[in-house]
Amino acid sequence: MNATTAADRRTAASRSNLAALIGLACIAGLYFVTAESPGRLLHDAKLQLFKTLFVGILLEALPFILIGVLIAALLHVFVTDEMIRRFIPRHPVLGILTAAVLGIVFPICECGMVPAIRNLIRKGMPTYVASTFILVGPILNPIVFWSTLMAFRSRPEIAYTRMGLAFAIALIVGLIVYRGYRGDPLRQRGPSVAAHDHRGHAHDHHTSPAHGGHGRRAIRSMIAGKTKDVMGHAANEFFDMGKYLLIGAALVGLLQTFVSNAMLVKLGQGELGSNVLMMGLGFVLSLCSTSDAFVAQSFAATFSAGSLVAFMVFGPMMNLKGLIMMLAVFKTKFVVLLAACVTVLVLAGSWILPYIALK
Amino acid sequence: MKTMIWNPEALHHLARGLIVWGFALLVVRLTFSGDILLYIAPHLVIYAEIAAGGLLILGGFQLYFAVRSFAGRAPACACGHDHEGHSHEMPATPMRVTGLYGLFVLPLALCLMLPSAAFAGTIADSKGMNLGASTAFNNGKEDAELIELEGDESPELRAMFRSRAYDRDFAKLGMLLYQQDMIEMKEDWFLEKLETINKFLDPFQGKSIEITGFVYRQDGLADGLIIVGRMAMTHCIADIAPYGMIVDAPQAAGLKDDQWVTVKGTIGRQSLGDREVMKVLAESVTEAKPAAVPYVYPDRSFASKL
Repeated sequence: MNATTAADRRTAASRSNLAALIGLACIAGLYFVTAESPGRLLHDAKLQLFKTLFVGILLEALPFILIGVLIAALLHVFVTDEMIRRFIPRHPVLGILTAAVLGIVFPICECGMVPAIRNLIRKGMPTYVASTFILVGPILNPIVFWSTLMAFRSRPEIAYTRMGLAFAIALIVGLIVYRGYRGDPLRQRGPSVAAHDHRGHAHDHHTSPAHGGHGRRAIRSMIAGKTKDVMGHAANEFFDMGKYLLIGAALVGLLQTFVSNAMLVKLGQGELGSNVLMMGLGFVLSLCSTSDAFVAQSFAATFSAGSLVAFMVFGPMMNLKGLIMMLAVFKTKFVVLLAACVTVLVLAGSWILPYIALK
Repeated sequence: MKTMIWNPEALHHLARGLIVWGFALLVVRLTFSGDILLYIAPHLVIYAEIAAGGLLILGGFQLYFAVRSFAGRAPACACGHDHEGHSHEMPATPMRVTGLYGLFVLPLALCLMLPSAAFAGTIADSKGMNLGASTAFNNGKEDAELIELEGDESPELRAMFRSRAYDRDFAKLGMLLYQQDMIEMKEDWFLEKLETINKFLDPFQGKSIEITGFVYRQDGLADGLIIVGRMAMTHCIADIAPYGMIVDAPQAAGLKDDQWVTVKGTIGRQSLGDREVMKVLAESVTEAKPAAVPYVYPDRSFASKL
């Protein structure tokens, strides 16, 4: 137990160091350029663009990460392992289908998804169910469907294909993970979780029977206690996930500042080349799944329908911002497996689709 | 052990509370100055405001924990003793603390140091100008569905705007625009109008049009041809994309890139590779004041407002 704690602490330390390094590098960079010529720096178009992108992505993601963080904290405090186990069917295929339906009912994008999913896995949600949920959630929901349909008004088959391909890929990946991945996908599942739950119970026992005479006061103090628990954990999650959102947003900002779409587009055309290219673009841009359809539509003149679908399925499932958040929570091995499956399947799917659905 | 660590923990809560409030105040400040529209689309502002409210509460609790911790009382989230190995462990060394909180302070500091800026022509280059994605209809096509619009449009007009079922909305807008003496390309439905005219090129030939936007030059366009465009934003600055129309103006050479102009003229056509897009044959080009918020937004339910 001591060994795991030490190991956990070491990985946590190394990742925090990374965060620290990036933060320091940014500050040092700022200082360096400021010292050089403050006036010019403040009017530097690239810095201005970076800052606007960085802050814009943060402002856009803020509400959704807060929802995710709040859900995670509520799950942590109120939902027991038992409830999760009872809710998810034992049969793997049924479990995966449940996850797909859950994704439709809870339309949260990947910013909110990652913190929520970590708590669900901790509470005993099977890994394959979680994998399906994390892939299907950002795409297969009414909001994304509607926005895709509206962006591609004249070609509704693109919206249907996007939904269908996302659903199929999430199912297949769920099955692959069920068959092929053993062990705990989370980076840390420290002994603290057990201790924590135990403490939670102790808390309950302590509030209810001890104040049997003053039932209402006991309830009120229990509510106060739970509220503080939820708020405390939400803040922890906020800083924990926010760190990776910030790094992700900064990277996306830097990339968009210095690498232009036009440059990427020039890289490759051709049958499969354009699919790979659009997937790469989806990865780099890290757009919200509700807004990417419109961006995809702006490429409709230069790219095939298959590659547009690849962009809109791959981007929400695997993107720079999301990948960094996923790496914070999941073991690298698990993320690599997920990324490899999604990449191959999206590529294959978007290559076959033009022959069957996107005529 | 708890007595040893209460003080740093209070400082952590304090730092977190202040950072969280910092983000909330950033949203409040941007909302009041209106600059928030330079970062995110109008329909998302309400979510950012709700998030700011949530952050105020979240930060308030952190500050409350800090005060309690300073006062030497037990930490409010009683998990203080099992923090070891806990996933959301508070950073321990000064360097890590600086790194973590420095990362969160970075966007706040950037916002304090740099004024909010709008982007128009400067990044059109890196995004690639859109001159209309759809191909024009061949109106002679027999299988095209005739759109029935209630009201008193003449059969000739309806025949002109034959379209596929999915493009009914654009056909409706097209008929509306066709009946106007002057088609004004302003903030409202900029993208929808652009798409409509490009879809129904034939009926719009020779119609009067007025457009305000920034000047953009594209490689491969002949001398005397420029593009006047606007930036479209769906959600946030990360997804902006430039949309524009080709303008044929004798005075094109004298216009600076990114300069805002108002062009009045008539609609013509221009072949672009294997497709045709609209073109404005300019009669007058005048300097215009850049829009305070230079972005245009796609209106997905425009048809229901017609």
